[in-house]
Amino acid sequence: MTRDWWKHMVLILGAIIVLAPFYMMVSYSFKSPGEIDRGEGGFFGRQEMMVDERCVKLRDPNRDEIAAAAPHFPGKTDNEIRLALLAEAEADCSMRPIVFNYSKAFTEAPLLRYLLNGILVTGSIFLIQVVVALPAAYALAKLKFWGRDTVFALVLFCLLIPVHAIALPLYIMLAKLGLTNTYAALVVPWTISVFGIFLMRQFFMSVPDDLIDAARMDGLGEFAIVWRVMLPTAIPALLAFAIFSIVAHWNDYFWPRIVVTGNRDLFTPPLGLREFKGDGDGSFFGPMMATATVIVTPLIVAFLIAQRRFIEGITLSGMK
Amino acid sequence: MAQLAINNITKTFGDTSVLKGISLDIQDGEFVSLVGPSGCGKSTLLRIIAGLEEPSGGHIMIAGTDVTSTRASDRNLSMVFQSYALYPHLTVAENIAVPLRMRTMNATQRLPLIGRVMPGASDKAKEIAQAVQHAANVLEIDLLLDRKPGQLSGGQRQRVALGRALVREPAAFLLDEPLSNLDAKLRVQTRSEIAELHRRLNATFIYVTHDQVEAMTMSDRIAVMMGGEILQCAPPEVVYDDPDDIRVAEFIGSPKINILPVERTERDLFLFGQRLPLTAKLDAPALLQIGLRPEALRLTKTAPLMTGQVAHCENLGSEIFAQIALDEHTGRVVIKATPEERHKLSLGAKVGLGFAATDALVFGPKGKRLRDIEATACSVSEVA
Repeated sequence: MTRDWWKHMVLILGAIIVLAPFYMMVSYSFKSPGEIDRGEGGFFGRQEMMVDERCVKLRDPNRDEIAAAAPHFPGKTDNEIRLALLAEAEADCSMRPIVFNYSKAFTEAPLLRYLLNGILVTGSIFLIQVVVALPAAYALAKLKFWGRDTVFALVLFCLLIPVHAIALPLYIMLAKLGLTNTYAALVVPWTISVFGIFLMRQFFMSVPDDLIDAARMDGLGEFAIVWRVMLPTAIPALLAFAIFSIVAHWNDYFWPRIVVTGNRDLFTPPLGLREFKGDGDGSFFGPMMATATVIVTPLIVAFLIAQRRFIEGITLSGMK
Repeated sequence: MAQLAINNITKTFGDTSVLKGISLDIQDGEFVSLVGPSGCGKSTLLRIIAGLEEPSGGHIMIAGTDVTSTRASDRNLSMVFQSYALYPHLTVAENIAVPLRMRTMNATQRLPLIGRVMPGASDKAKEIAQAVQHAANVLEIDLLLDRKPGQLSGGQRQRVALGRALVREPAAFLLDEPLSNLDAKLRVQTRSEIAELHRRLNATFIYVTHDQVEAMTMSDRIAVMMGGEILQCAPPEVVYDDPDDIRVAEFIGSPKINILPVERTERDLFLFGQRLPLTAKLDAPALLQIGLRPEALRLTKTAPLMTGQVAHCENLGSEIFAQIALDEHTGRVVIKATPEERHKLSLGAKVGLGFAATDALVFGPKGKRLRDIEATACSVSEVA
C-alpha cells in the first residue's frame, strides 16, 4: 500500500459525489414509475413490461367505437366488447420502461426542436464571442495604444459582475427594443465574453512577438494577423474557451426562462425539462430524466472528441 | 534592390535613450553588419529600418523615398528573425509562400477554399509554387516542403526562414542574429552560405549580430554600435587594424586586444618606465593607453619591453594563446604564439615580450584614437 492511498480515497469520494446525480439521472431514465417511487430495481430496473395508464385512458372506447367494433366480436355484449377493446389497448400500450421513458421524452415535448434551438443559440453565441474576443484580445496583448492597461483593467472588472445582477436591466432593454421571445434575446446579451477576451489575451501574451512581426514583414495587415496567424495558433485555447462557453449556454436555464415567456418554439433544451414537471396528473420522473440524459449526452460526446486535441494543445509545441 | 539611408535616427523608451542620432548610408548590394554588445540598440535600429518600431526622430530612406511613416508591410523589406518565427500551423511550402500570396493575390483569391476558384487564382498559385520550389532548391530544403516547422531541426528551420525572406525580391534583407540559435559547427557552415547567397543575389543585406566573428567574415562593412551610437563603420580589416575608438578595438578581435597604460613625458612615451620608440605631439594628454593585438606581441629575450610569467595556455593546434601575468602591472596580457614556441610557454615560465612600434594603437584617456603618433627609427622589437 502506498502512502498516497488517502489521496486516492479523497479523490474517489469526490468522484462519487460528482457522479451520483448523473448515476441517478441515467438510472431513472431506465426505470418504470413504480420502481422509481419504490426505489428498487438497481441501475437498470427490472425492465418488466409496463402499461402506460394515460395511453390506455385515451383509448377508452366510447359508444360509437363499441358499436363499430361489434361485427368483430359476434355474440358478445357491449360490456364484453368494451373489456376486450380495453385489453387490446392495454396490450398496445404496454412496453418496456426504457422505451416508455425515451419515447415520451421525444413525443411529449418537441425535444428535437429544443435541441436544434440549443445548437443554434450556443453556436451563434460562441461564434460571435470568438469574432469579438479574438481581435480584442490581440489588441490587448500585442498592440501598444494609449489606455491599454486601463481597458484591460476594465475587462478584469467586468469578470466580477455576476450575470444575475444585470439580468433585470438587460431584460428591460431587450423588452424596450421588442426583442423578447426572439433568438436575438437569447444570443445578443452573451456575444461579448469578457472571460473569452481575458483567456485569449493571456494566451496571446505567450505568442512570440517575432511571429507577429514576421507576419507584418510578410505583408499581413492587423486583422489578417488575427485570423491567419493568431487564430490557428490559438486553437487549443479556443477549444478550452469553447468548452466553457458552450457548456454554460447549453445548460443555461436562467436566461432563456426570463426572455422566452410564451413561444415554446424558442425553448432551449433545459426549458424543455419543464414540460415534465409534475403537475396534477402525477410525476414524470422517468421521461424527465430521459430528457435530461438526451440533453447532456451531446456535451459529453463533444468533450470526449475534443479532449485529445485539447490536452495535446495545452503542451503547445512547435512555436519555438 | 535599393540603397538605404538612415538619417539621424533617435529612439527613446521613456527616459532612456536607446539610439542617439544614428546616421548610416548603405549602398545597393552592400552587406553591412550592425555589431555590438547586447543592449547597444542594434536590434532596435534594425526594427526601425524594418518599420516594426517607430523612431523618436530622424528619417529612413529606401531608394530615395522617405519611408519613415510607411507601414512595415509596405516597405518591401524581408526579415529573418532570431527565433525564425515560422508559422507553426503551416507547412514549409506554405510558410515560404506567405509573402508572395499576400503581395500578388487579392483578398478574394486568398480566401480559404473558395479562393482557388476565383479568376486568375490558379495561375498565380502556379507561379507561387514555382517560386517556392526555386527558393527551396537554392536552400536545399526541397525535400522538406510538406513538413510542419515543429518537425524540423534548428538548422532546417533557419533555412526555411531564409527561404521565406528570399522568395520575393525585396529592397533589402534584414537579418536579426539568424545564426545565434544554431550550434557552433552549423553556424560556421551557414555563415559562409549566407555570404555566398549575398554574392549570388547581389542584394542589400543588413545583418545584426553580437558575434564579431560573423561580422568580420561576412560583411563589406561593419558598423560597431555601443551605447546607442555607431562608433565606427568601416570594412572589417579597417575596423580590426585601425579602430577609431578603444571600445571598437576591445570589441573586435578574439582574444581581446591588450590595453596597457603609457605615460607621456615631453614627446616620448613610456611603458612601465621604458621608453617606447613612439613620439607624440606635445599637446597630447599625459596619460595614454596603447592597444596591442595578441599577434602583435612576440616572445623575446633581448631587451624585452615587458616581462612576466606564463599563467595560462590555450593550445588551438595551429596557434597558441598564452596569458602572461606581467611583473610590472597587475593585469595579464594575451599573446599569440606559434606551435614551435610551445616549449617556451610552460606554466610559470619567465618570458620577455616585445612588439613593433607600428603595431601599437595609441588611445587617449577617454578612449579616442590618437593618430598623430609617430614611430621613431630604431624599433626595440627589431633587435629581437
